[in-house]
Amino acid sequence: MEELIEKLKVQIIKQLNLEDVEPDEIDPNEMLFDENGELGLDSIDALELIVLLDKEYGIKIKNQEEGKQIFHSLTTMAEFILQHQN
Amino acid sequence: MAKRIFITGIGVISAIGKNTTEALENIQSLSSGVADIQHLKTVHKGKIPLCEVKYSNKELYQLAGVDPSTPLTRTALLGMLAAKEAWQQAGSPELGDGKTGVFSGNTVGGMDKTEHFYAEFMADATAGDVRTMLTHECAHSTECIANYLGATGMVSTISTACSSSANTIMLGARMIKQGLLDRAIVGGVDALAKFTVNGFNVLQILDEQYCQPFDQNRRGLNLGEGAGFVVLESEDTVDEANILAELVGYANSNDAYHQTASSPDGTGAYLAMKGALDVAGIAADAVDYVNVHGTGTNNNDLSEGIAMQRIFGNNIPKFSSTKAFTGHTLGAAGGVEAVLSVLALKHQIIYPNLRFETPIADFETPLVPETALLENQDLTYILSNSFGFGGNTSSLVFKAYK
Repeated sequence: MEELIEKLKVQIIKQLNLEDVEPDEIDPNEMLFDENGELGLDSIDALELIVLLDKEYGIKIKNQEEGKQIFHSLTTMAEFILQHQN
Repeated sequence: MAKRIFITGIGVISAIGKNTTEALENIQSLSSGVADIQHLKTVHKGKIPLCEVKYSNKELYQLAGVDPSTPLTRTALLGMLAAKEAWQQAGSPELGDGKTGVFSGNTVGGMDKTEHFYAEFMADATAGDVRTMLTHECAHSTECIANYLGATGMVSTISTACSSSANTIMLGARMIKQGLLDRAIVGGVDALAKFTVNGFNVLQILDEQYCQPFDQNRRGLNLGEGAGFVVLESEDTVDEANILAELVGYANSNDAYHQTASSPDGTGAYLAMKGALDVAGIAADAVDYVNVHGTGTNNNDLSEGIAMQRIFGNNIPKFSSTKAFTGHTLGAAGGVEAVLSVLALKHQIIYPNLRFETPIADFETPLVPETALLENQDLTYILSNSFGFGGNTSSLVFKAYK
């Protein structure tokens, strides 16, 4: 689980072009999409995460509503991947 | 210096035919252009339907009478064909005196070609023809159209997503009104490419079935391709015998809400429609028919419906989305639908909104589009909407010429 979270940090930074962010700056439990949060991701970033899940983990998310819950934080993302990865 | 702007030629190529005659025939027989993917090489073949123009690039070269060894993108070919039809209808005027502008709205540019070249080139730097990259920019297809017609005046391209060609029509009209041009060949073109289909797929606004604009159970849009162009002429230089209709209103606005969604209270759409009516100098109740943007997405149809209520109150005029016939032709949409609006005025018809079953539940007074082709109408003013990504919204108002 720890390993997966570290891996996700690197993948997200790359996929979303977060040039100024270091992996250890991301708190695994912080809300990814909180406007006042560190990362402050938006809905276009959410679509990028859906693409990432498909490309790197073979998991397809059908709609953005589903995505909102899965992408709450890095921890919820990692849990989802461990549950659904083939 | 408020010159009147007249339309003297129209041309369209789309999923419902290679010219205006075929488009009208298919509309009258209620034959939509949506179908399984035939031409585009994509992983989505067999999974989603598209509104492709029913000709291969080879066939488009033949239709255009151009040597197939000339490097042209599908975008350029489609634009050339529609612009030529419009120009011929306007009497094939000489365009070499610099007094005619050619303005085209486009989003995909030459990506139908460059996306293939790019893949080959990244794998092997000696593969493919690097000159393909010269066709990449949106402006390239506009240059091809201008060259094809022998136009030597101002050439320009507008790329504002789905409002692109409504904006080129507006630009042409304003330049004529300012006395900078006598004539403008305006509209737009877009060809289907993997980039487009994949991009819209990621946004999750594509319908895997045939789209149902303004329906409660709508699932998204069907992508289309094609080109629509009109010839605009100044009242000072126009030959009255050629007049098909008049362009009386236009407006562009931006609701600055979201990159790919319209504001939920319909602000962008409202501002565009209101602005166009103001330029036309008419009240909302003068509008006889609205050709709505009506893509079939949850977001657009709701937002546009709300805006229509804000403009028209409880007296919503007859309206329909022709995208159930042509698909969403993106940069070409404004131009294609301008052509359809002029045809509606010429023939006094109102188009059906195909596959409509249930009105959107959010509206207390149901918004019900026309579902049958209506003939022998008494139409004077038509409002046409084209709302794009980035909140760029445009509307045009056309008036019958009697």
